[in-house]
Parts: sequence; C-alpha cells; structure tokens
Amino acid sequence: MNREAKHALKNTSILFKKWTVMSLRNRIALYYTIATAFLIALVFAILYFMVESIVYKQFDEEVNNEVAEVFADAHVTSHDFTSFSRFKNFIDDKEINFSEVKHDQKEAAKVDTEFIQLVNQEGEVINKSNNLARNVLIFKPGETKTIYFNSTINNSTIRQGQLPLFNSDGIIKGYLIVAVPMKKAIIVLHDLENVFLFSFPAIILTLFVLTRLIAGKSIRPIEKVIATAEKMTQTNLSQRIGLPYHHDELYRLASTINALLDRMQDAFQREKQFTADASHELKTPLAVVKGTLEVLVRKPREKEHYETKIQFCLIELNRMAQLIDQLLMLARYESSKIKQHREKVSLHLAIESVIGRLHPIALEKEINVEVRSNEKSPVIADPAMLEVILENILSNAIKYSPAGSGITITVEQKEKNIMCNITDQGIGIPEEKLHAVFERFYRVDESRNSDTGGFGLGLSIVKRLADLQKIQVSVISKKNLGTTFSLIFPST
Amino acid sequence: MRLLIIEDEPGIAGFLKDGLEEEYFAVDIAYDGKNGLDLAMTNEYDLIIIDWMIPVISGIEVCRQIRKSGSLVPIMFLTAKDTLEDVLFGLEAGANDYIKKPFAFEELLARIRVQLRSKHQGDDSLRAGHLNINPGTHQVFYDSSEITLTPKEFALLEYLVRNKEKVCTRSRIIEHVWDIHFDSDTSVIDVYITFLRRKLENAGCGNLIQTIRGVGYIIRES
Repeated sequence: MNREAKHALKNTSILFKKWTVMSLRNRIALYYTIATAFLIALVFAILYFMVESIVYKQFDEEVNNEVAEVFADAHVTSHDFTSFSRFKNFIDDKEINFSEVKHDQKEAAKVDTEFIQLVNQEGEVINKSNNLARNVLIFKPGETKTIYFNSTINNSTIRQGQLPLFNSDGIIKGYLIVAVPMKKAIIVLHDLENVFLFSFPAIILTLFVLTRLIAGKSIRPIEKVIATAEKMTQTNLSQRIGLPYHHDELYRLASTINALLDRMQDAFQREKQFTADASHELKTPLAVVKGTLEVLVRKPREKEHYETKIQFCLIELNRMAQLIDQLLMLARYESSKIKQHREKVSLHLAIESVIGRLHPIALEKEINVEVRSNEKSPVIADPAMLEVILENILSNAIKYSPAGSGITITVEQKEKNIMCNITDQGIGIPEEKLHAVFERFYRVDESRNSDTGGFGLGLSIVKRLADLQKIQVSVISKKNLGTTFSLIFPST
Repeated sequence: MRLLIIEDEPGIAGFLKDGLEEEYFAVDIAYDGKNGLDLAMTNEYDLIIIDWMIPVISGIEVCRQIRKSGSLVPIMFLTAKDTLEDVLFGLEAGANDYIKKPFAFEELLARIRVQLRSKHQGDDSLRAGHLNINPGTHQVFYDSSEITLTPKEFALLEYLVRNKEKVCTRSRIIEHVWDIHFDSDTSVIDVYITFLRRKLENAGCGNLIQTIRGVGYIIRES
C-alpha cells in the first residue's frame, strides 16, 4: 500500500517535472489548442442542435398537417370531441386506402407512410390505422397539450404528435396520435454527427501541429536572446542581443536586456576602475616606503640621513593609514544594509562641532570660518554621518582656500526644506570637471605631487552618505572665485 | 650611464634617484609625461624608466612617441598596473621590460643592468684587454689586482669601456656620465681622464685611453 502510494507520488512528480520543463513553444501550442478545441466543440454542438431542431420542426409541421386532415375528414375539432365513433369511418376509410399495405405486410408496420392511432384517456387503443399492423404508437399519459417526440417503430425513427381531445366541457376524452417517418432525416442527422465527431480530432491535431510551428517561429528571437546570454561572461559584457525587425514585445525585451547590460557593463567598468585606482593608491606609498628603506639599508649612513628617511617613511605611512580609513569608510557605507540612526539633530551644533575640530588647520592658514544663520529648526539625519559630511566638505574648503581668505556657512529655510551652503573663496573647480567631483578617486588637480594631497575619496563619501539620508548635495563653482557646496535636507 | 625616470610620485622618484646615483648612474627626473617626453627627445639616455599613470601624457603614450621618433633606447615600465593585459599592453607599446609596483630595488637594479648589456655580453661584467670591470660591485681589476676608483672615475671608465673601439666625443661623455644639472663645461672631463690614466698606469695597464685631438677619447683593445 505504502509502496503503491510512493509509486503514484513518483509518477505525479515526474509528470509535474515534465510539465515544468515543457518548452514554451509546446505550451503555447497546447493552451491554444485546448482553447480552440473547446470553441470548436461548442460550435459543432450548436450547429448540430440547430439543424436537428429545424428538421424536427419540419416534421412537426407534417404531423400538424396530418392532424388537420384527420379532423377535416372526420368533421370535428379537438375542442368538441364527443365520441370516437366519428373517427371510425375515417379510420375505416384509411383502412380501405391502405388495404394493399395490409396485404403486403401483415405482421409489421410499413414505416414510410404516416400512422394514426386513437387512444382513450386511460391510454387504451380505440382505433388505429391498418398500416400499423400489430404495432402500437407509444402513448405518453397525462399530457394536456399537444406534444411532439421521437420514438421508434420496427427500429425506424418516427416523429410523433400527441393531441388531446377535449369535449365541449374542456375535459380530455382521449388522444389522437399521429406519426410520420423520419428515416432520411435521421440518416442526414447521423451523417452530420459522424462528420463532426471524426473531423474534430483531425482539426485539433492539425491545429496543434500548426500552432507549434508558428509558436516556434515567433519565439525564435527568444532563442537568440538565450544564445547571446549564454555567451556572456563577466569578462565579456560587450556582447549585445541583435534587435528583431518588428518593433514588438520581443524587440522591447531585447532592448531592455541590452540597456540592462549597458548599465551592468558600466557598473563593472566603474568597479574595475575603482579597484585599479584603490590598488594604485595603496601600492604607491607602499612602494615609496619599501624602496626608500631598501636604498637606505644598502650602505652605512650618517645618523641624520637615517632620521630624515625614517621621518619621510612615517609621513608616507600616515598617509596610507588615512587612505585605508577612507576606503574602509567608503566600503562600509557602500553596503546597502548600513544601519542608520536618523533622528532630529541640530544642524547648528553639528556645524559648530566640525568647525571646532578643523579649527587648528583653519588657524594655520589664517582662514576665518563664519556661520550666518537664523534658522534653528532641526534636520532629520544620522548625527555621525552628518558630521562626516560636513567635515569632508569643510576640510576641502579649507584645503583649497588661499591663506587669509574666508569661508561662509549659511543655513536657511528654502520652501519646506532646510538648506546649508558652504562657500569658500578658493581656487574653484573648472566647469568641465564639476560633474565628476563626487566620483571616487577623482581629483580636479591631477598632479599627485601637489601639496594638497587628497585621495579624491572625500567627496564620494559625502555623496554616498548624503544619498543614504536623502540629503541632496550639489556644487557650483567659478574658477578662481570659489566653490559653494549645498546640502538640502529632507523636510521633516 | 645616464637614466631618465618619468614618475609623478615624488617619493618614488626620490629614492630611485638616491639609490641609482649611489650605483654611479646619472639620473634625470621628469614629474609628468610632457616634461619626460621633452627630455627623452632632447637628451641621449642609456635607459628610460616610465610610470604608466602620470599626468598630462600617459606613460604608454610617452613610450609610443619615443619609439615613433626611431629611438631604440631601452624603456622599462615601473607601474602599479599589474594585470596580465596591462603587462602585455605595455610591452606591445614598445617597452623592453615591465616591473610591477611594489618592487625590490635590487631587482630593478639588476634589470637595469640586463637592459644595458650589449648583444655580445653574456653577463654584466665588462672587459677591455686585461681590464675587467664589474658594474654590480663597482670593482675594476687589471689581471688580478684591483684598482680603486672614485664613483665619477668609475662611471667614466665604464662608459668608455662599454663604447670601446668607438670614439667618444666630449659632449657625449658629458651627456652619459653627468646628469642634467651639470653645466656643460667639458674641461672637467680632461681632469677626470688625467686621474683615470694615472691610476691605470700605476696598475700597469699602460696607455689604454687614447686622445683623439679636438674630438674626444677612445679605448682600443689592441
């Protein structure tokens, strides 16, 4: 029992697997075929029943005509029935009319002529036409209206009409049953049924094969997409999917994937550039220290010589430590899962604290940092990140300002947001380089031997932290006139 | 032997100059590509060391321009770019060697000497008759007896021996033995030649260095 169940389960899972690995082309063909099969079956059925009802209607009319004839011959109507005797003559007449029939077929009814039969209200046969011979027409008791139905006689289908006969008081006294043969019509209906039954599977099969072909053809561009995607590796992102001729969904799919690849390649390129830059920036001070010490130990030297070289190496090592700090900070903040503690903080206090920390450097260059602000409302930010942002911008401003110049920090309400501007009177940034200042390792002054000596990481850290906290950061600058960095805080 | 170093990182350029000058090389430094290319085009160097990532003109472009001018001077890349593609790209641009940062100074020195070997030289040692010069240890032997020379005397002798059987003009000697900061007063050569001849003669080497009047000097083995 258990084994059987397991077996069944296995079979089901195989079936499911087959279903899930079924090609798109087969699935499209299958769905389409199922839907169409349903529709065709419906159409066939409607057609069949329509034809059938038309045929029956015709026979019903024939029955009616026959009934009318019987009534006319008997000089009665269905509403003033008195006794069956009035029909007797008529039926006897019929008997004479069909005497030949009686001779030919004594036992069984001849089925290509009409039949007439009278029954009383209990269903007993009162009289019937002779061509019925020993057969009796089926009677359906209890009917108060004229009904039409199919029945058989001698294995041949006939259409029967059953008409109640009322007396003048409206009480049913008996029934007149009239039947006409339907042999030819039944053959036609049967043929129609056969045509429908046999053509249905043939149509469905052809449809499936055709749909499969067409589906295969129309999804061929997808195969191309797959082939191209398979060729692609991380090192070879330059491949692009060829665009199909028609501007359809597949065209959109291909161009969307291509656009995605463009962005990916761009990102990889930037990542590669960053790694290259980072490794260069780390290797250079390392090479300087290593080389200096290697040359130093090759020969015995004066004490002063050792001291200068070791001092020099320490400066290089400090620079390297600083770079590693910044790289680590950048790496930490690059992660999207970085925890933020966004809260209401006083921008004012943050600015004051940063100025306090940078005061010694500013003093050295005799740079006056002035804060102009009446705006005391708090901003939403992570306090630690906010200070890193302010410190990086302000230390840059001090670095690129000429000695004795001033730096202005303003805080103001701009529409719903608080805006902070940090303006220096420094060397400025050429307009063509302005867009790149937030990129990692970008330096406006390319020469590395300048005394300003940053790494080009400070502003990219600013940008990253600002993005994390939804602070808009922008920069405007005029060469030799100064630079303004603007921070727009999200509205509270 | 006079070298040109094109390197924008002052720390690296600094210790390279210190270390190589201790090895009796005359060293010029350029801090950017344009300056470096100008120096390479106007002076005759025995070897050029180039960093790839330098301002104004990249190291690769400097290398290409030097080769385009028809110069066959040995060029070595000294760079932090360390992928295989970078190395191949650098060598294909016309460099003779490619050293990745960080590097060992001793290795750089050894590789410089390899580049300075002539086609007929199996190792670094130089010979002229019975005179044997070892540039690695800065020793000069006449047969088995050592001759002690000052750095400048050694550099002068090394240059003459490297170019033996060829006339070395005063100006070329100045270019290859002294660096760019030396003003081109060629009479200083005559002074050093006199010192050198005296030391060689004392060792029994005879009149190895011959004067070509009005032109310069030559060492002939015969």
